[in-house]
Amino acid sequence: MQFPLSMSDISLWIAITALILLVTSELLFSHSGHLNFPIDKTRLRLVALILGAAFAVTVLLRAITPSII
Amino acid sequence: MLDQKLWRLGTAKAIRLLQLLFLSIALWFIYWTHIYEVLYWNKTLLETFQSNFPNVFVYSILIIAVIFLEFQSKRRSRISMSSSSVKSLEILQKENEQSKYELMKSKKMPSNKIGIALLIIGALLLSASVITSSTILAFIGLGLTFWGALFLFVRSTKFVKIPILNATATSPYTTLDRIIADLNYNGKSIYIPPYPKDTYLPEHLAGLKDMVVFISAKDSATMPNLEEMAKKQFMVKNPEGICITPPGSGLVSLFEKELKADFTKIDQESFYEELPTVIVNNLGLASDFEIKVEKEFIHVKITDSVYNHLYSKSQNLKTIHSIGCPLTSAVSCALAITTGKPVTITKSKISPDLKTIEIWYQIIEG
Repeated sequence: MQFPLSMSDISLWIAITALILLVTSELLFSHSGHLNFPIDKTRLRLVALILGAAFAVTVLLRAITPSII
Repeated sequence: MLDQKLWRLGTAKAIRLLQLLFLSIALWFIYWTHIYEVLYWNKTLLETFQSNFPNVFVYSILIIAVIFLEFQSKRRSRISMSSSSVKSLEILQKENEQSKYELMKSKKMPSNKIGIALLIIGALLLSASVITSSTILAFIGLGLTFWGALFLFVRSTKFVKIPILNATATSPYTTLDRIIADLNYNGKSIYIPPYPKDTYLPEHLAGLKDMVVFISAKDSATMPNLEEMAKKQFMVKNPEGICITPPGSGLVSLFEKELKADFTKIDQESFYEELPTVIVNNLGLASDFEIKVEKEFIHVKITDSVYNHLYSKSQNLKTIHSIGCPLTSAVSCALAITTGKPVTITKSKISPDLKTIEIWYQIIEG
């Protein structure tokens, strides 16, 4: 039994998820005022930024030590 | 005219759809030209830029188009409406709000249940992917687990629907209307700044640290004397009037908490800059908030306030125009605290559709 995803697969998944979340949070922030659904916009942006940073870390790892990924 | 308005609303939706389409295409280009090639073709980021220059050009144009459309849609929304169409639109909006409320009631599905369900399914799929060594199952499991956790993390801690807020905010004003009508007062309301919280005051003057609004019996801007205010009295004799806690005093504490600043110490320029951000973005109390300062007069324009129903003719509240709704009262309190001078609401103007509230404040010098 082994986890089937490689580091590059996870990196790609993080990249796409981060893009979706960053765009969503950006669109939500451009809509000022009260929303019709309860969502914490600042928390969503925080998660998006963390995922974006995680992707940047994976890219950096790839650049520094290509054998890892 | 109404058809034109509805057509405009339709075009706004079309613009949004166009924006999303352009963004999706731009993101696809970014993904394909850079991320995919970097990860699978072992190219550097610079190489992908060089080899895909036309693509980079296309998605740059698309992103510029999205930003341009955003500006256009904002400009369109500022177009003023005539009073005849406003009434019809108001009815439509009310019906729309009502149907939204009904829909929300029928769809009573708390987001934490969805989040937990997604987390459980995701965890099961992840375990299954390890057992079967399936990449697809692993991707689905990873996605579901992540979105489940995200749903739990981003939901607001407490969410109060606007109709509930409306129902609770009206009664204090009705009570105040009755008191003022009974006392036959027709004077101004003056927001009196409190002493800073960290200032030392003797025990008999501790009442001066509370924010109060003084409603005078006669139309004059005379301040009550300190001794009476320090005693935390409701009825004040010299000059005749009443002292009450402003309806927006609680909101001011929230503003300070969000800004992480003490309004007694904040400089006025940064206060005028940051107040709209706190009201619109942090607390979502209105869609737009503009503040203009002209010497001792301050003009505030609030669009789509959560308290706008208090100004409707059906409520027929009188004190709302002199002491303001909780939001405009909070602005008065904040102004009084930052300037350290008494503030009064000189004029208020509400659009027929209750969309915009304009308030003129005056800082009383001397």
